[in-house]
Amino acid sequence: MNFEITVLLLAAAVQSGTPILYATLGEILTEKSGVLNLGVEGVMILGALVGFLASKVTGSPLAGLLAAGAVGCVAAAVHGLVCLVFQGNQVVSGLALTILGTGVANYIGTGYVGQLAPGFAPYPMPVLSQLPVVGTIFFNHDPLVYLSYFIPVVLFLFFSRTHHGLNIRAVGENPAAASAAGLNVAVYRWFGIIGGGFFMGLGGAYLSLAYTHLWTTNLTAGRGWIAVALVIFAFWKPGRAVFGAYLFGGIMALQLRLQASGTQLPSSILLMLPYALTIVVLVLSSWKKGTSDEPAALGVNVEPAD
Amino acid sequence: MGCSLPLIRLENISKSFGRVHANRDVSLEIEEGKILALLGENGAGKSTLMSILAGQLQPDRGHIFHKGKRVVFSSTEKAIEAGIGMVYQHFKLVNALTVAENVYLGTRGGFGLNWKKIRKNVRELGLQYGIDIDPGARIDGLSMGERQQVEILKLLHRQSNILIFDEPTAVLTPREADNLFAAMKQMVARGKGIVFISHKLEEVMAIADNIAILRRGQIVDRVPAQEVTSTAELAERMVGREVLLKVDKSPVEPKQIVLKVDRLSDDRLKDVGFDLRQGEILGLVGVAGNGQKQLVETICGLRRPKGDNIRILGLEWGRFFRKPDWDKTLSYIPEDRQGLATCQGLDLLDNFLLTTRGGFTRGPWLQYDQARVKAEHLLEKFDIRPPDLTACAWQLSGGNLQKLVLAREFYRKPRLIVAEQPTQGLDISAAEDVWRLLLKARDAAGILLVTGDLSEALALSDRIGVMFDGRLVACFAADDQSKVAEIPQLMAGLSV
Repeated sequence: MNFEITVLLLAAAVQSGTPILYATLGEILTEKSGVLNLGVEGVMILGALVGFLASKVTGSPLAGLLAAGAVGCVAAAVHGLVCLVFQGNQVVSGLALTILGTGVANYIGTGYVGQLAPGFAPYPMPVLSQLPVVGTIFFNHDPLVYLSYFIPVVLFLFFSRTHHGLNIRAVGENPAAASAAGLNVAVYRWFGIIGGGFFMGLGGAYLSLAYTHLWTTNLTAGRGWIAVALVIFAFWKPGRAVFGAYLFGGIMALQLRLQASGTQLPSSILLMLPYALTIVVLVLSSWKKGTSDEPAALGVNVEPAD
Repeated sequence: MGCSLPLIRLENISKSFGRVHANRDVSLEIEEGKILALLGENGAGKSTLMSILAGQLQPDRGHIFHKGKRVVFSSTEKAIEAGIGMVYQHFKLVNALTVAENVYLGTRGGFGLNWKKIRKNVRELGLQYGIDIDPGARIDGLSMGERQQVEILKLLHRQSNILIFDEPTAVLTPREADNLFAAMKQMVARGKGIVFISHKLEEVMAIADNIAILRRGQIVDRVPAQEVTSTAELAERMVGREVLLKVDKSPVEPKQIVLKVDRLSDDRLKDVGFDLRQGEILGLVGVAGNGQKQLVETICGLRRPKGDNIRILGLEWGRFFRKPDWDKTLSYIPEDRQGLATCQGLDLLDNFLLTTRGGFTRGPWLQYDQARVKAEHLLEKFDIRPPDLTACAWQLSGGNLQKLVLAREFYRKPRLIVAEQPTQGLDISAAEDVWRLLLKARDAAGILLVTGDLSEALALSDRIGVMFDGRLVACFAADDQSKVAEIPQLMAGLSV
């Protein structure tokens, strides 16, 4: 493989890793507050569909993007309703959300399969895109990719340098202690759920508005599940999520290129690669010694005070 | 400072849970610059009282005054605003965060956090009170004593001026306890008021300015610490000696030995030895935490003794527990009814079968129909409410749950009974029922009664054993009046 192809492959890795990155960051935000949302896949695909429809109706990809974020918030709020208000089981609620989301999106989307909608076009960054190698890999994409560069930084600063970030971490680690310190646990969990849903919705919209500009059935193809696994791989750190997302983006881009190059390998094996890697990554990250970075109260409901 | 208003005044606080009076007409004053020790056995109502003060529970009657003004602590936030801070026995810290992060948790105002400055502040705050701790250290790497210091720093940072310590030395090494006391002295010197909850007499004597003694929910005594001459005097005030009821205790001829403990030692127990015969009740008294728990757990098979020091019903410990029979054997009535004696989520029938299932098995099958008939009969006989076998254990009140445990254990026709705080938390009529049942069971069994309530021990026991610091310091007949008079001194570890 020569140098030029490698650079192009890395650029493709960034692009196809971006939707996973959005979803992973959303799930990190949610899980940091102590809520496990396994509905990422469902929220993403709803975001993808609504973003596509809104862009098609209004003709503005930006409107589509915002609509996708909004529907992400709403879908995640359903999870919040079940877990925070009715104290339902977080795992079951999340799985139900995935099934509901994919079902609804594919049903409504049936009539639109193959149709196009206005999307985000590549916008090479002035000056930066002229840089050798780095320019091609990182600065020759659509605006949503550039936006995704900022979010990990913002989240990192939020968690480590702000009151509310500290509070949300405390709520995810030990809700009883947070409550004793006078914090409203439910408020921070709602914030984690809805804020996370927003990013998941954006991740979905990236698929229908930037990665492709069309709608197909099952557009997300398990990327939501990969995001759930990546959160563990990233040890709940936004910075590490970037590497994980691009690693998976790279594998996805690679298998597409390999298929196109007419390799002897059966296509089903190639299609399986990202999901096989998910398992490998989970096994590897569970080998980590010492203290776990998992929020200690992840998945544990908190009874509202009397 | 002498004539200023107390920081907090409690007036006639009462709180009941069902028919149990956890607090009855409790009046207390917490003064600026003073350490008030609240002394009482487990279940005397200390925790309830402090939960009321912390805004977690609402009193049924009575008022709280904050600097002379009447206040209602309807939530923990209200109590925190009034400057009340609790150091709980179980720390409320976020283990994955640092000391400084825990201290600043919940602080309002501002958006960003300057960790460098915050760490410096936390360090300086600690040093003012002699607390030397690295603000950047994660909680899960700290010792229990250091974690407690973080809890204290949290309160100091919040500028709490009434600090309540709930048995703070329970988790500390002696050295750490000394550090804590030094910090407490610093705090009162700076005008804070402290409530120190404990049942350790020496500590109370050493640190308190005033002592209030709580027994069965009531303040039975209030004394300035300098008027107390000895820990024995405190012990006597704490456990009380008036006999609450006259039980008809007809003498029973003691028969064969059912339990023999011979020079039992381990990390907590030192040379404990005694015999227990069928037909007698041996009341084991002492301030909680002097080895009673370890002794009971060893006898009942929860802890392995170091050697062959225990014979139960004529068998060595190891052989006895290899395959214990379900009936005519050892019955354990633990202090922890909810955790050890019953399964909260199971119904009464399943709870009944927990220890009696041996009597209802045929091959691999459990004969539920027969068990149901028996259990229903027991519910009626012991007047357990609700008389419904399908109710879950958690739905029963403490008294009814205890009666269920007793009904179940007596159904096994035990020959050795170990009863641990059998009436703790029960109202007086339920307690009387339990006492009668124990006396009746005495005909067929030897009973080891572990209790923190001296009057209970005196009312029921044929012999009394006193434990202090892991030793059985004395064992004598319960009608030996001169020995009985010495119990407080013995409990306080003074040789007589």
